[in-house]
Amino acid sequence: MNLATKMAVQQISPVIWEIPPTEKVGMRVPARIYATEKMLSEMDAGVFDQVTNVACLPGIQRYALCMPDGHWGYGFPIGGVAAMDLRQGVISPGGVGYDINCGMRLIRTDLTVADVQPRLNPLMTELFRKVPAGVGARGFVKLNAKELKQVMRKGARWSVEQGYGWQEDLARTEESGCLAGADPSCVSDHAIERGIHQLGTLGSGNHYLEVQVVHHDRIFDHAVAEALGIHGHGQIVIMVHCGSRGFGHQVATDYLKVFEKAMKRYGITIPDQQLACAPFQSSEGQEYFSAMNCAANTAFANRQIITHQIREAFSKVFNQSPESLGMHQVYDVAHNIAKVERYREGDLLVHRKGATRAFGPGCEELAEGFQRIGQPVICGGSMEAGSYLLVGTSRAMDETFGSTMHGAGRRMSRAQAKRMVRGAQLQQEMEKRGILVKAVSMSGLAEEAGLAYKNISEVVETVESAGITKKVAELLPIGNIKG
Amino acid sequence: MARSFRFLEHVALADSAFEARGDSVSELFVASAQALIEVMVDPVTVSTNWKRDLTLTQPQVSDLLFEWLLAIVFLKDAEAVIFHEAQAKVWRDEDQQSWQLQGLLIGDTIDPSRQELGADVKAVTKHLFEVKEESGWWIARVVLDI
Repeated sequence: MNLATKMAVQQISPVIWEIPPTEKVGMRVPARIYATEKMLSEMDAGVFDQVTNVACLPGIQRYALCMPDGHWGYGFPIGGVAAMDLRQGVISPGGVGYDINCGMRLIRTDLTVADVQPRLNPLMTELFRKVPAGVGARGFVKLNAKELKQVMRKGARWSVEQGYGWQEDLARTEESGCLAGADPSCVSDHAIERGIHQLGTLGSGNHYLEVQVVHHDRIFDHAVAEALGIHGHGQIVIMVHCGSRGFGHQVATDYLKVFEKAMKRYGITIPDQQLACAPFQSSEGQEYFSAMNCAANTAFANRQIITHQIREAFSKVFNQSPESLGMHQVYDVAHNIAKVERYREGDLLVHRKGATRAFGPGCEELAEGFQRIGQPVICGGSMEAGSYLLVGTSRAMDETFGSTMHGAGRRMSRAQAKRMVRGAQLQQEMEKRGILVKAVSMSGLAEEAGLAYKNISEVVETVESAGITKKVAELLPIGNIKG
Repeated sequence: MARSFRFLEHVALADSAFEARGDSVSELFVASAQALIEVMVDPVTVSTNWKRDLTLTQPQVSDLLFEWLLAIVFLKDAEAVIFHEAQAKVWRDEDQQSWQLQGLLIGDTIDPSRQELGADVKAVTKHLFEVKEESGWWIARVVLDI
């Protein structure tokens, strides 16, 4: 097999590959990549280099992991998972990413594609108007610094208290949409200034809001789908992908600088500056964790406000209340985060960067409604190919620190995609194929063309085959909003 | 006065990487800022109603470039502005043992109806970040998080 690395890669199973610690100076544990042989052979050199760099971090347990949607990031690969011992281990902003608590939310409806298709254009126009997207976009929620600090502490609960959402949404959000230990005094004024106007906005890049359809023949587990409100008879659902916006980006930027200096003090050497880290128990580590929780809560609040705006848009276009349209939230899950979770080694700090929590049935941490079926996992594909709803498994708890993939994963750079595709032409072609796209940026649209991404079905089949997540339904796009 | 930049295709797939160069350190800073701006917008579509002077000091030239680019990303969000051009004068202050920048950013309030916007840059990363002087050229490699 021809790989983009000279390191020895041993096959553990048809979909698990291991790089032993002897392959790089400083590796404390092996690195494990989940992929088919074909996907592994297509992975870029950055994945192998970065996942083995992660394996060098102090306190890492068992393995440095990379999911099948893994690709070259900075510091950690996108798709990276690493669990650290709480006493001996480090916390790394590079293991969370700049977009702290970037994540996915899925909302179901009672509408069918036959109901929506005749009004798709006004619906997408209204969604585009109500959910600002693109460079530097500002939201409708006007806050002062004191109020933003409430958002940092309360997360999605703040939004619901302000009338932006339903109480039941919180039980259908990871950690009920509020991480404990958020301390706004650990956040800089710069971060507040940068993010204070952006609640309720999507951002750009690979962030989107998508109207999707679920067909009955693309439901893979009818009992679980039914429990999640998905019947699939041409059913319309809405998916949102976004995070903590400029606020979270600034928190990450601020603490990477702090950690660069702290590493010298703690005598930590790392192979890549973007892996800057500090002992979790150090003052710097604890302060970053508190600030990261503030940003994560702000992201939960952001997706909650966007949910409210989506319900308002549907209500206006279909002239019915969101309740009568059955617009219940299916789930909201983070894929850029670090959290303390309990595994066989004890309490560990699990970093997930472009990887999703995938807790299996019976997990105490899950709300009652998910105890029997496992935690919903929402994986976004490209805007042309569709997305998947999955659920976590017990095997994920045993093997991957309760983690799985997060999306299709890129296979082509933005510059290359822009050379191959023109945004306006792509928009027209997609409309002919029944996908209506509203975009702020035509060049941004070209960068997100389907050809720039891996085949999400292959990625999903890999995690299903590995037993770390179970397919529930495929969700196909009919309308997309891009920044 | 000579400067240029090019985007790097096979670095950090999900993000955006560029190499900038200038025949002086000031030209390098202008070229780097221009590359960052072009990721976010087609600058010819941005008018010049907004201006901001910036003064920065750092012990290392690489830290100064990093802070210069961070300042542009910060202002984009904090003030909802987008840029037409950047000007920079950079020099080494031997007395202070530091690098100094006096910069000017010119642009306008963000308005997608008038400007051809691109990608929203989240951050300037230290991944593969490099500033060097080679054969009379100042060269930088920068990876932006998108």
